[in-house]
Order: sequence, then C-alpha cells, then structure tokens
Amino acid sequence: MRCRRAQRWMVAAVDGELSPRRRRMLEGHAASCSECRRELVATGAVLQRVAGLAAECEVPSPLEQATLRRVRLLAAAEAEQSAERGWWTAFRAPALALATAVVAIVVVGLTRGTGDRQAVMPRALDQRRVAAQAPAREKPRVVASRERPAAKAAESLPAEPPPELAAAPELFMELPILRNMEKLEHFEAIRTTTLDDGGEQSNG
Amino acid sequence: MAPVRVGEGMPKPPVPVQPPAPSQAAPEAGSVPAAVAADPDVALMLRLQAGDEAAFQDLFRKFSPRVLQFARRFVGSEAQAEELAQDVFVQVFRFRHRYRPQSRFSTWLFTIATNLCLNEVRRPERHLRVDIWDRRDGEERAEGPPLPDPSAVTPEQGALARQLERRLEALVAALPPKQRAALLLSRMDGLAYRDVAEALGSTEGAVKALLFRATQTLKRALGEYL
Repeated sequence: MRCRRAQRWMVAAVDGELSPRRRRMLEGHAASCSECRRELVATGAVLQRVAGLAAECEVPSPLEQATLRRVRLLAAAEAEQSAERGWWTAFRAPALALATAVVAIVVVGLTRGTGDRQAVMPRALDQRRVAAQAPAREKPRVVASRERPAAKAAESLPAEPPPELAAAPELFMELPILRNMEKLEHFEAIRTTTLDDGGEQSNG
Repeated sequence: MAPVRVGEGMPKPPVPVQPPAPSQAAPEAGSVPAAVAADPDVALMLRLQAGDEAAFQDLFRKFSPRVLQFARRFVGSEAQAEELAQDVFVQVFRFRHRYRPQSRFSTWLFTIATNLCLNEVRRPERHLRVDIWDRRDGEERAEGPPLPDPSAVTPEQGALARQLERRLEALVAALPPKQRAALLLSRMDGLAYRDVAEALGSTEGAVKALLFRATQTLKRALGEYL
C-alpha cells in the first residue's frame, strides 16, 4: 500500500467510516511506516480539536424566546390563511356551478341569436337578389309583397293587443297551417303538377 | 512493534444508525425504516406535524445548542449565528409538512442549517461585514465556551491551548465553504458520512474528499502545535 492512499483513508478510519478490509490494510501499512503513523496521530488530533469546536454550547434565553415568538406568529398566520382557505373551499363548488351556469346561458343565448340571424339573413338576401335580377317575374314580387305587409304590420304593431284579441286569444293561435301559407298560395300549381311516380302508378 | 489500532481514543465512534440507502430513499408512503421509526426525534417531528406545538419546543431545546454552535463555527459571528439558528428553526416549523420520516430528523435539520449557512457566507455583502468584525489576535475570545483541555495543567499549557483554539477557529473559518460544512457536520454527534452527504446534496465519496482536503490544510497549518 502506498502512503498517499493510506493518507486518503485516514480521516475515514478515525471517524469509523472505513470498511474493515481497508482498515486492516491501513493498520498494516501504519505498522511498517513511521511517517504514516505520525500522520495518523496528527489526523486524529486535528479532528479531535475540530470536534471540540463543534461541541454544543449554551443557548441564550432570548434566542429561545425570539424563536418561539416567531414560530407562534407564523402559526397564527397559517391558521388565518387556512381559515380563509376553508371559507373558499366551502363556497367554491356552488360558486363554480353558478358561474358555469351563467356562462352556459350566455353562450346559448348568443349562439341562438346568431343562428337565427344567420338563418334569416341569407334568405332575405336571396330574395332581394332574385328581385333585383328578375324584376319582371311574378314570384319574387309576390314574395316581396308578402314581406312588405308583414314588415309594415311589425312596424305598426300596437303596444297592447286589440280588445277583440284580448277577448278571444284562442282564435289567434299560431297554427302549423299558417306556417305553410306559401304552399297554399301555390296550391294550384302543386296540384296540377304531374309527378313521374304518380304517372307510373296511374298507368299501372 | 505493537500493531496500530486506528481510531482508538478518538472522539467519534462509528455511528450505528444506518439511514436508508439511496435506492430506498423514497419508499412507499407509510413505510418507515425501523431505525428511523424508533428515533424519538422523528416521533417529536410527527407530533409537530400533527399540530402539537409543544413538540417544537422540545426539538428546539434538544437541537438548538448544536445548531447554534454549528452556525457559530460556520459564519464566525455570534450575532449572525443566532439569527441563523432562529431561521433554521423557523424553517423547520414552516416546512414541517415536507418532512418525511424516511430520513432521520437530525439529517433534515442540518440540511436546512447547512443551506442557510452556505447562503449566508456566499452573500456578497458578507465579506465586508466579516472584515469589520474580525477579531484581532490579542483580543480575548468573547463567544462560545472554551475548549476543554484536560492536558493543560500549567498556565503555559493553558495559554498554548487557547492560542491553538483561536488559530484553529481562524483556519476553519478560512476553509472553502463546502469543506467547512463537511468538516463541521462530520463532527456532529450521530451524523454519519451518509447524513453529511445528504445534507450537502452530494455523495459519500465527495464528502471523504472534502474531509481529506480540509484535514490536510489544517494539519499543514497547525504543524507546530500537533
């Protein structure tokens, strides 16, 4: 064993942190090397002195009091924080549910409004385009004439229903047939149109 | 020639407590090594975690002398050491829920102490402060207990022992921070090299190397006294 390696192991040997095999090797070397023997003794002495430096000392009473005071303040602050957190935890679920409901209502409302506008606007634009392209044709004029009174009627709606309507509201119900008024207008054309299927059936 | 027995009469016996190996450092929750479970300090810490503030007081009374002395030797100033010792225990309380009983309480405590001391000595404004507070050689030592020296029976020997102590303090204070930390931690009762490595965030091999370099420096400088 070389002296350099032996010296590297000395601190661990003094501290009892050397493996038994290495300890035996070091002891064998130190028995035959006076220089390493001296080094080993010096290492032990230095470490003993340093251990004396690191020995416990008396803690001044004000230090203990100051530390405990700081810890009590910290504990009080933590308790306050946890109380605030407890309040929020209790109300968090309902608050989140309410907020979600509000957002959902707003989103649905906006979507519906946009959808209606998108559904109405192209139809109105188409009708205007058709009317502009073929002013001589009758159909657009019919459609336009149907819309114009409706718009006028909407503009001239009274603030309150007339007394007749108020007296008999069941007569003014929105019936499905009213929604098919356009088809009724063209009833004659539809009735006289010959369908291929119908022709085959009549032939058969 | 009589065989040489290494470590005979030395102050630090082998530490019997074996903390968990690195591979077992993070076992499943609830599984606590037997040696650690039997540690009364761990029990105190668990009581503190459960909200028992009296346990904190017990821990403070038990460990504050060692922590204070460690900080004194590390930063070399009484006032700063007291501040640091306070900070260490306040950190223990603040982060008590982060402590896991897989490692010994003293290891965890000295990890906090080491980190705070290293931060303190690395602060750039500290260098000026140390220069101002540095004691002159002729000044009597105003802090810490005197080193016990049973061999000092005459006044001359006592004076020599005090001189050696002052010299040693200055040498330790002049060591690089990591060497200083390793040296002081390894002199703490019950801290094995593995615990020192954990406190320093390094390996046992690195701790041995730090201790070797620190001891070589001290031996060279104290040659006349040894």
